[in-house]
Amino acid sequence: MTDFPPDAAAAPASAPKPGSESPEAIARARLVEALVRTGEEDRVAFRDLYSLTSAKLFGICYRICGERQAAEDVLHDVYLTIWKRAGAYEPSRASPITWLATIARNRAIDWQRAQKVRRSTPIEDAPQILDTAPLASEALLHDEQSHLLQECLELLEQRQRSAIHTAFFDGVTYAELAERQNIPLGTMKSWVRRGLARLRECLER
Amino acid sequence: MTDVRHPDLPGDDGPDMTAAELALGVLEGDERAQAVRRVLSEPGFARAVEQWRGYLSQLFDLWPAITAPDILPRIERSIDRLHDTTGGVVPHPRGSRLWPSLAVLSSIAAAGLLVILLVRPLSLPTVPPSPTAPATPVAAPLPTLVASLEPEGKQAPMTVVYDQRSGTLRLTETTLARADRSAELWVIPSDGTPRSLGLLQDTGGTTLALNPTVRAYLAAGATLAVSIEPVGGSKTGAPTGPVVAKGALSPV
Repeated sequence: MTDFPPDAAAAPASAPKPGSESPEAIARARLVEALVRTGEEDRVAFRDLYSLTSAKLFGICYRICGERQAAEDVLHDVYLTIWKRAGAYEPSRASPITWLATIARNRAIDWQRAQKVRRSTPIEDAPQILDTAPLASEALLHDEQSHLLQECLELLEQRQRSAIHTAFFDGVTYAELAERQNIPLGTMKSWVRRGLARLRECLER
Repeated sequence: MTDVRHPDLPGDDGPDMTAAELALGVLEGDERAQAVRRVLSEPGFARAVEQWRGYLSQLFDLWPAITAPDILPRIERSIDRLHDTTGGVVPHPRGSRLWPSLAVLSSIAAAGLLVILLVRPLSLPTVPPSPTAPATPVAAPLPTLVASLEPEGKQAPMTVVYDQRSGTLRLTETTLARADRSAELWVIPSDGTPRSLGLLQDTGGTTLALNPTVRAYLAAGATLAVSIEPVGGSKTGAPTGPVVAKGALSPV
């Protein structure tokens, strides 16, 4: 009756395959292990997980929350959620950083939407999101998934791409997207929907 | 990936990309509620949302890291409190300006809970909550969450009270399913994927002791919904029948 998979914590962490022991693969395996062991309530693994991922997750919280203290409080909440939920993580279904980053983004959005007060402009001091491949120094967190989406985004009109980008990274809704661009809500919806439809065509090709 | 067309959507606002929109997080209000409902009632739509979520997650790679403040000690203290079910006095968390006074909030929560219990005392099944427990909020960092589930028909709303500390969720008495069906309760957290919380009693109220995995999904803002399923609950792990009641969790 539930959709809960068998205890993921009991599943072995995916070890790097022979021949694929690049630094990225090793780092990723270390992260998977830290997360799986966190699911077994292992505090040492949890601390390791924090040191490996807190900068990435703080970057997400900070950008969406727009203020440092709030981002810090949300980050606290994020790691508490990770601690509680890590037992349900399945290495075969999602990369560890995707799983963790999703929790951070959702929590930050929950916080932001609970605030009621909207920022009318993007925060000034948050680092820019670059339309480029991740830096080598972030290889640790680098996902092994393909980057098809990024390639497909390149095919969109600039305003479509920019709106989808902002929605994802700033965690904002149609209303705020339209407000920021000072265009009618219907126009913004149309841009984004057409952009998403184009993306789908490209992704399914 | 099939985006199931929705008949209500006007065509001049662009194609129906509701699944992608929900995954991206641009919807709000009624539009979002309607999309969440479709996740519950249309398995194909739910799969499309999941698929879009997977695609969009590729963007996480682009997110710049920022050195985080060292809040690990604070997090670990919170974890300790999580495991501390004895109700003893614990240190007040420091450095939280967002939630400035947990004691005050907890008192408000306790007061609100008492009001609910006084107003609807008869319909809460089993384990009547001890009046002293919520009245000593010093060690209650996790607020009680409540939701009012509005049924489709003319029935009175159901009240859900979720005690985050014990992981116990109680629903008031209701009869939503016919005798040959089961009513199943789901939580839909911000990721949009419904997770089963269990079946409602055919008669009387229901108390569900939630396992730690699902507890993590119950947070303020998460949607609770009841769907009608075959006896014994959905066989697929996702809701298969109509949604007959729903509402959002909020702190008391």
